[in-house]
Amino acid sequence: MTAAVPTGSTSRGFAGQTRPVARWTVIARQELMDLWAGGKGLSILFGFTLVLSILAYLASADAGINLLDARESVGLVVTTSIALGTLGAMVVSADAISGERERDTLEALLVTPVPRRHIVVGKLLAATTVWVATLVVALPFAAVMAGGPGVMGDAVTVLLVSGSLSAAALTSLGLAISSVAMSNRTSLVVSLAVLLALAAPSQLPAVRSSTTLGPILIKLNPLSASLRLADNVLVRQEPWSDQMVYLISPALAAVVFTVAAVRLARRLELGGSR
Amino acid sequence: MSSSPRLFSYESETVSTIALYGSAPTRVPAVNESGLDGRVRRADRSLAVVTENLSVVYGGFTAVDRVSIQVERGSICGLLGPNGAGKTSMIRALTTIVPAAEGTATIVGHPLTDPVAVRSNIGVLPESNGYPGAQTALTYLRFYGQLYGMDVADAEGRALDLLQQFGLSNVPSRISTFSRGMRQRLGLARALIHDPAVLFLDEPTLGLDPAGKEEIMVELARLAVERGTTIFLCTHLLDEVERICDQVAIMNRGRVVAEGTVDEIINSSGADSFARIRVRPEAIPLADEVLRGTEAARAISFDNSRPGDLIVTIDSDHGSAATTLRALLDAGVEPQAFDFRGARLSDAFMAITSGRTDDIKEGVGS
Repeated sequence: MTAAVPTGSTSRGFAGQTRPVARWTVIARQELMDLWAGGKGLSILFGFTLVLSILAYLASADAGINLLDARESVGLVVTTSIALGTLGAMVVSADAISGERERDTLEALLVTPVPRRHIVVGKLLAATTVWVATLVVALPFAAVMAGGPGVMGDAVTVLLVSGSLSAAALTSLGLAISSVAMSNRTSLVVSLAVLLALAAPSQLPAVRSSTTLGPILIKLNPLSASLRLADNVLVRQEPWSDQMVYLISPALAAVVFTVAAVRLARRLELGGSR
Repeated sequence: MSSSPRLFSYESETVSTIALYGSAPTRVPAVNESGLDGRVRRADRSLAVVTENLSVVYGGFTAVDRVSIQVERGSICGLLGPNGAGKTSMIRALTTIVPAAEGTATIVGHPLTDPVAVRSNIGVLPESNGYPGAQTALTYLRFYGQLYGMDVADAEGRALDLLQQFGLSNVPSRISTFSRGMRQRLGLARALIHDPAVLFLDEPTLGLDPAGKEEIMVELARLAVERGTTIFLCTHLLDEVERICDQVAIMNRGRVVAEGTVDEIINSSGADSFARIRVRPEAIPLADEVLRGTEAARAISFDNSRPGDLIVTIDSDHGSAATTLRALLDAGVEPQAFDFRGARLSDAFMAITSGRTDDIKEGVGS
């Protein structure tokens, strides 16, 4: 028995529908289902929550003996959230294309009339939800640690603005790497190496203490700029007006890497296999 | 389309027919069993796939070398060739997965330079097709239906129909629990979700048991006949091709080295036909003498494992199997069994791709 073709279709079912239509929502919806119902996203979120819980416990204990004040505790929660949330989103995006390639599911997707950029945009949006989920988990922790609306307001702003820009930038970068990487392992290793390379400068004592090179490197680097902004606003209580410079590189990186990921989508290939 | 059967048997009154050589596949017209006798074709004989000097190059390696073929709408075209012949590259070029380095091709009139139009009209089951193990078959098909522009309700309806058609409707579990055969059927259902005009299948029966292969083959024949779907079938299973393909193209080292119907391919290959004749042991010398006296017998050998069996290579230019049988009967030698095996596609394939026709002849009698 041949399956019935739905009414309203063209001469051969849907084969005549040659106009490219927006399918990124379909891709994004399915990716979201796979990510969250499949358990991968929840695993990442569980790990993040565990780390944040331990940090919050230690920070609370320190605060009890006046080693850390509320602002420092909130700063710790926010910077950790930015670093780990970005990491989680990047890991998911780094797997998005190369993972499909490795699991032999990419070819079936590529032979559909869905424009390549729609595939990339759908996957990008799905990966970004890891950051959004991280944000949702981080906020209650920050609220508990803040102990007042002033610090909490700053924490929310830092997470929403600075954190989101960093996450968008690095998620797009992970996806761009995934598009060109021939293996999933390569994609993940390169993405993590990039993330570490970006995060490291802000942690090096020589860079931190340098009065010339240090600030420049930190400002150029989207992740370290975000972390520094969080530290300056939440811990050092420096005014927002002086911190705008730390938003430039995350914002630029978000735009550049997103455009790069979408443009690389045109050259989305199966890989070197024959 | 393949025409007359190339296998018949003669049975004497006293002895039953002996088996055909070794493990050679018996030609069973499956289309008859499935009620598709006659293979009534649609009047539409326009071309579904046309390539002209199509080449695919990876780096410096030419995988497909200036291939020109034409496939009629509603026909089943078998693409054959040894490993590395360029079959998969050919399919990937026609499905817009890899770019053509040279030449042109159209799929139901759409050039490869319009990939969205081409992709809208084709269904593809790749050789190594992975599946999202965490999804159910319904979710999987519904997703692909939506990618082809259906709304959720249409996609779900179409998915349910296909699941029923392929015997997967009562399988609510995740795809990760599916057997190989179930996955292949699901892949075929996915390729058909939008009722494509042309179906590209790369080893669709790989890893399936005989029953599973039969199901897929019957389904493909049915699709071509009832829906007019053009099927581009890439496989190593030559008996499948012989049974259901209207047209065959054999590739070797990136080039199409033979093209035509199964019969045309066999006839042009020069592959031999054989007859196995069983006579009483004491009649062997006379039978041997008589057969050597006929021009139709090009070579005669004995099957040491079965005393009394003579294997005759038929020279079709100078006679037929019937000529040898008649000569024996005229000489008073009554065969206890007589089996004729016409040249098969596998013989032609070997002859064309390796050029070792003599090896094939010798191998049959051993």
